[in-house]
Amino acid sequence: MARVYNWQIGRDMSYWYPESRPKRQFAAIFDTNKCIACQTCTLACKTTWTSGKGQEFMLWNNVETKPYGFYPVGWDVKLLGELGPQTWTQGAYDGRTIFEAARPGERALGWLPTDIDYANPNLGEDDCLGQVDGGAMFSLPHMSWFFYLARICNHCTYPACLASCPRASIYKRPEDGIVLLDQSRCRGYQECVKACPYKKVYYNAMTGTSEKCIACFPKFEMGLQPQCFVNCIGKIRLAGYVSTPDAARPENPIDYLVHVRKIALPLFPQFGLEPNVYYIPPVHVPAPFLRQLFGPGVVEAIAAYRNAATDLDLSGLLGLFGSTEQVVTSWRREGEVTIGRNDRGVEVVRTPLREPVHIRAAFDPEYAVARTNCP
Amino acid sequence: MSTHDLNRRQFLAAAARAGFGAFVASASSAWALQDPIANPLAVYPNRGWEQSYRDLWRYDSTFTFVCAPNDTHNCLLNAYVRDGVVTRLGPTMKYGEATDLYGNRTTHRWDPRICQKGLALTRRFYGDRRVAHCRVRDGFKRWVEAGFPRGQDGRPPVEYFNRARDQWVRMTHEEAADIVARALVNIAETYSGDAGAERLKAQHYDDEMIQTMRGAGTQVLKFRGGMPLLGLTRVFGLYRMANTMALLDARIRGLGPEQAVGGRGFDNYSWHTDLPPGHPMVTGQQTVEFDLSAAEHARTVVVWGMNWICTKMPDAHWLTEARLKGTRIVVVACEYSATSSKGDDAIVVRPGTTPALALGLSHVILREKLYDADYVRRFTDLPLLVRMDTLKMLRASEVFGTEPAALDNQTHVLAAGQAAPAPGVQRDQIVPAALRAEWGDYVWWDRRTNGPRAITRDDVGIRSPLADPQLEGAVEVTLADGQRVRCRPVFDLVQEYAAHFDPKTTEALTWAPAAAVESLARHLAAVPGTTLFAMGMGPNQFFNNDNKDRDVLLLAALTGNIGRVGGNVGSYAGNYRVALLNGSPQWINENPFDLELDPARPARVRQYWRAESAHYYNHEDHPLRVGTRLLTGKTHMPTPTKSMWFANANSILGNVKWHYNTVVNVLPRIEMIAVNEWWWSGSCEWADVVFAADSWAELKHPDLTASVTNPFLNVFPRTPLKRIFESKGDVEILADVGDAMARLTGDQRFSDAWTFVRRGETVHYLQRILDASSNARGYRIGDLETKAQAGVPVLLMSRTSPKVVGFEQVVDSRPWYTKTGRLEFYREEDEFIEAGENLPVHREPIDSTFHEPNVIVARAHEAIRPAGPEAYGVARDDLSNEVRQGRNVVKTAAETVASAHPLAKDGYRFVFHTPKYRHGSHTTPIDTDMVAMLFGPFGDVYRHDRRMPFVTEGYVDINPSDAKDLGIDDGDYVWIDSDPSDRPFRGWQKNKRDYEFARLICRARYYPGTPRGVTRMWFNMYGATPGSVEGRKTRPDGLARNPRTNYQAMFRSGSHQSATRGWLKPTWMTDSLVRKEMFGQAIGQGFLPDVHCPTGAPREAIVKISRAEPGGIGARGLWRPAELGLRPRYESQAMTIYLAGGFIGD
Repeated sequence: MARVYNWQIGRDMSYWYPESRPKRQFAAIFDTNKCIACQTCTLACKTTWTSGKGQEFMLWNNVETKPYGFYPVGWDVKLLGELGPQTWTQGAYDGRTIFEAARPGERALGWLPTDIDYANPNLGEDDCLGQVDGGAMFSLPHMSWFFYLARICNHCTYPACLASCPRASIYKRPEDGIVLLDQSRCRGYQECVKACPYKKVYYNAMTGTSEKCIACFPKFEMGLQPQCFVNCIGKIRLAGYVSTPDAARPENPIDYLVHVRKIALPLFPQFGLEPNVYYIPPVHVPAPFLRQLFGPGVVEAIAAYRNAATDLDLSGLLGLFGSTEQVVTSWRREGEVTIGRNDRGVEVVRTPLREPVHIRAAFDPEYAVARTNCP
Repeated sequence: MSTHDLNRRQFLAAAARAGFGAFVASASSAWALQDPIANPLAVYPNRGWEQSYRDLWRYDSTFTFVCAPNDTHNCLLNAYVRDGVVTRLGPTMKYGEATDLYGNRTTHRWDPRICQKGLALTRRFYGDRRVAHCRVRDGFKRWVEAGFPRGQDGRPPVEYFNRARDQWVRMTHEEAADIVARALVNIAETYSGDAGAERLKAQHYDDEMIQTMRGAGTQVLKFRGGMPLLGLTRVFGLYRMANTMALLDARIRGLGPEQAVGGRGFDNYSWHTDLPPGHPMVTGQQTVEFDLSAAEHARTVVVWGMNWICTKMPDAHWLTEARLKGTRIVVVACEYSATSSKGDDAIVVRPGTTPALALGLSHVILREKLYDADYVRRFTDLPLLVRMDTLKMLRASEVFGTEPAALDNQTHVLAAGQAAPAPGVQRDQIVPAALRAEWGDYVWWDRRTNGPRAITRDDVGIRSPLADPQLEGAVEVTLADGQRVRCRPVFDLVQEYAAHFDPKTTEALTWAPAAAVESLARHLAAVPGTTLFAMGMGPNQFFNNDNKDRDVLLLAALTGNIGRVGGNVGSYAGNYRVALLNGSPQWINENPFDLELDPARPARVRQYWRAESAHYYNHEDHPLRVGTRLLTGKTHMPTPTKSMWFANANSILGNVKWHYNTVVNVLPRIEMIAVNEWWWSGSCEWADVVFAADSWAELKHPDLTASVTNPFLNVFPRTPLKRIFESKGDVEILADVGDAMARLTGDQRFSDAWTFVRRGETVHYLQRILDASSNARGYRIGDLETKAQAGVPVLLMSRTSPKVVGFEQVVDSRPWYTKTGRLEFYREEDEFIEAGENLPVHREPIDSTFHEPNVIVARAHEAIRPAGPEAYGVARDDLSNEVRQGRNVVKTAAETVASAHPLAKDGYRFVFHTPKYRHGSHTTPIDTDMVAMLFGPFGDVYRHDRRMPFVTEGYVDINPSDAKDLGIDDGDYVWIDSDPSDRPFRGWQKNKRDYEFARLICRARYYPGTPRGVTRMWFNMYGATPGSVEGRKTRPDGLARNPRTNYQAMFRSGSHQSATRGWLKPTWMTDSLVRKEMFGQAIGQGFLPDVHCPTGAPREAIVKISRAEPGGIGARGLWRPAELGLRPRYESQAMTIYLAGGFIGD
């Protein structure tokens, strides 16, 4: 075990390999407030990458309803139960990470799902916590609630899958930090499946290898966002690169939201993997559950989000989400318009704060016809 | 080897190439010789294998097509092709480049437009339920070949009609077209003239129905292109076919073009219960609405019984982004819904009671005088006087003895015999002189002069003279003849009625907390004209839907929220407004006796077909009679249904309301059912002839569509994809039947009607439509298709983008399409007075209530004087389902709440409602594995429990405490039974054979978000058929899949339609309602399909639920997720800590 620094938990921690950060780290923001659980992302991924034999159950991208939804069944409850209650103190995590809680002879605390654990992939869909027995009125935060959590591989800075692989068949690409599982080297030991706390590695019984999300690297290499981002009609997603906090650039949309505004938070940072998908927490959910999922910053993040109406930088930047297939690496707001540029500095998208209203003349003399809203 | 097999193999081969088999098998052995990898975070030696994924991503070419189920979105999609096979789909990302003729342009906030159901289409284009070739039912073929033998009464022998159990015979398109043409001719001949009428009489059809045919046998032929806006030629073409049936009538009865009658066309928007029937009652036109992108221009959006984020998925972001930018989102639903989770406020109400909620909100606004008085004076009938003796509106002629005034406010009075211009070029409202004379002018009481004053329908908006009208209290008006009559302003009547709905009473009726009613009312009134009411299908699918519309529009008018970009009402269900292309008559109604074969010239139009509501077919093929009274208006009167031919429609049969009664008791009276389909639906199961139609990816004829929820005009472009099976375009199928009709009758015009289709020049028909449409003239079809092929739509040239119905009324002071030119909250016509609904009232739901159904909730009120049961010769306590529909009984709120549903004593204690969900667009594509496995909590792609009918299955959501009380565990199978008098079908007690597939069994899910007593089952799932039950019992895998057709049910037996019924409400069926015609600006009266027409009430069912089997695998023990302690009410200790957020301490 080595000692590495994990900024998300504000301290050094144990990890199987020494710290080595890629030149750039793939990262994503998911705005849970806009997720509609339509599963378009899920199908975009599935029809692109996992429609073969042995992959039927496999959802590299899935969307689950929290708190009663899981894929695979009980994935987080089970691990949290094994880890036991933990605490944060002033932004730093006091508890044990899954690497620190590993059983003797293992590299991470984990569990191996069985075949049937992948059944019911949309278990708990729309099930709320807090039984509604009759008429009711809920205002923020809602006393009965659920929210949607879209999940892909977190392309962690400290991946448990990578750490646990006895053949070292999993690696992080130095150019973008995408975590890949080498299909030609894997022998199907499934230590990665067991170790990944997010259960985002899957064993394919037909090929005898494990598989995982590849962040659509064939697209990402071309400057295009992955399939689950481009197909996201809730427009909740933005892909790009995240820096470490000390190197944050405000013109990088991901850095701005993660480090400058601190509105987007990692999922289960306490597990210790420094995951690189950052979630804007749902504003209607009471804080205790969210702290458990996203760490101590949720109250401030929600306050900032709820203030977006008067915070034009924030609402403008969030309006870029889903408006271009290209990866936006810098952004700028000019009045009512927000502009996104790609890695080469070329403008690839501009969006207004509000879509314009076009009003046409009641009569069009050129075509001698009325233009009407009640035809 | 069939084309089907070949292409399926090709697909599987392509899929395998897109999989891992190949490269994994060749895993390098060189690894063993390499150095150990020191730190894979930093360095990895051999990355050549990554190329495999890049290869997987690769494609050869792309093309675009339009995905257009009836979801209103019409997404242009990219198809990615490899080795000639479409391997995946994606958004075009070019909606942000849409422009109009003036250079207006959208932004990329419109992108992407797609959904998971669209993405799954690849598995349907090549799927094993494609209608790969035409099929004819064996018995039907034998009946045709035997020369249509019939009994004395005209009925075919039953041995030919073993529908849904029979064998299928493969046919060519030409053979199938010939058989359909023969049947159409024979059926029309059989029921023509006096002999035909005698036969129908012998078959016990209602006399009124027979008479309304006027001797034309073609009138028993019913045609339906489902939601024709979804394909102006391919879907709407069925109505053109109906029009050509006039040629057949002319031939059979030896008539000329002046007397001939065409076929009948079924309704669409109203058939789907999408029409908000109260909108035309208030506004005189189909529906008030706004494009959903308007959300961000509002201060408040009230999402009212609409599951916006599930049913309007590509436009959900407008709602969530509006909230982000400060719009307050208030969600009213009968549960904590998906959309509730996106609300700032979420109000949970009792199902079917939101008319009362709107009255309760209005009451607070009236009581506290918070209403927008200016809007009320300028745009509503609220200041106008009503006579208390007759309950009619007081007319100026009665008071002043004057003739109706001349009208000049954007209005043209059409003299008798004068022809109106074509709809698309009309500017002014066109009012027939007879109607103008009948309406007259109206009277208001001027407080400044303390006397009555006349007002015309011109006097609206800025022309309104009402400075200080009397709104409250009665007045005595002296008529021209000296008579003195007591009159009250509509406002006064409404205010008195609404006063019954004080917040506490509203809470008792609706369950909405009184405090919520008070605070929401004040919020809405605080800034008039800034609230959008987005009304959903939920409240619309109750019997009181017209009450709901009238009450909500009242609330909206009181707060100035009709006709403004950020202040309006919208009703969202179905893509219906064919008038968006109001040049459509150029296509559907081209005169078949006078066809224009020069493509450069417009067609000459004459409508020979007649419309009727399919709800009569759904109501056991008869109108509504209660006691001695016929409650269906003459203009609405249906004819007997002897033939049905439909395209793009599963709701008309496969997923029809009261499905099991329809297939068991109604279908045996129908002699031909023909279906155009590309996917073997429930309708195909019950059909006689199924034509194999092109999928959207294979269209070889371009087509047009537009939308009621977005501003785009879309062309379905022709695609380069070779047809996968033996399919043809829908419009070609019509042309084939036209040819066959020409051969059979010797009348070439049947064939000529489809000339440009046959020549591959359907564009000419489309260009005629564009040229003749108000909002499309100027566009060239060729340009639009080229853009569509590049993934770019154009903007419809409506007055505004986003579209806002009512904009012209507010901005241009243009009259509404009503008698008064105003929003009319009072309905003076006899039918409404008789029903006790001259005022906008609240009725209890007709079945989905714990209380006495369908009562009018009111205190004694001077203007509510309905005809009670006695007036119709029925007993007051007769609550049987037929009588209940015309039962006008008034009860106070307290009496209502204290009363009980007549079946409550027998254990029917659960409201059962059947809304639509995110995983299906109607029934598309829920039987696709990848979509199905995510549909609900019971998905399991490997079917560990072999009882599962498919990789998912139907389920009922039930409040956990209710389930516990019934001894039902989470995940158990349950029986659901509704009113035994007629559901699942009349006569089930003596018909075990059909009851086996008709009775509903499904899973029960503990659903904490639904109130006690309220259960929910999604509408989208395919129901059981005789074939699916046979498959479940005989197939080794136990799938509920028809062994002969591959039809796949999601139920072991029954479906959500086991509990529904066809319902008819008298106020949907008046002859007197004034409303705009379908196309253009002319105003007419009475029945109009999709405008003033029955809607049915498919969310009405009270049910009994009983445990059938345990939920554990193989019926042993608990369903696994409950056993694991992860389900509501079964939480393990860890789950309990988790739910409380207890794994992180403070």
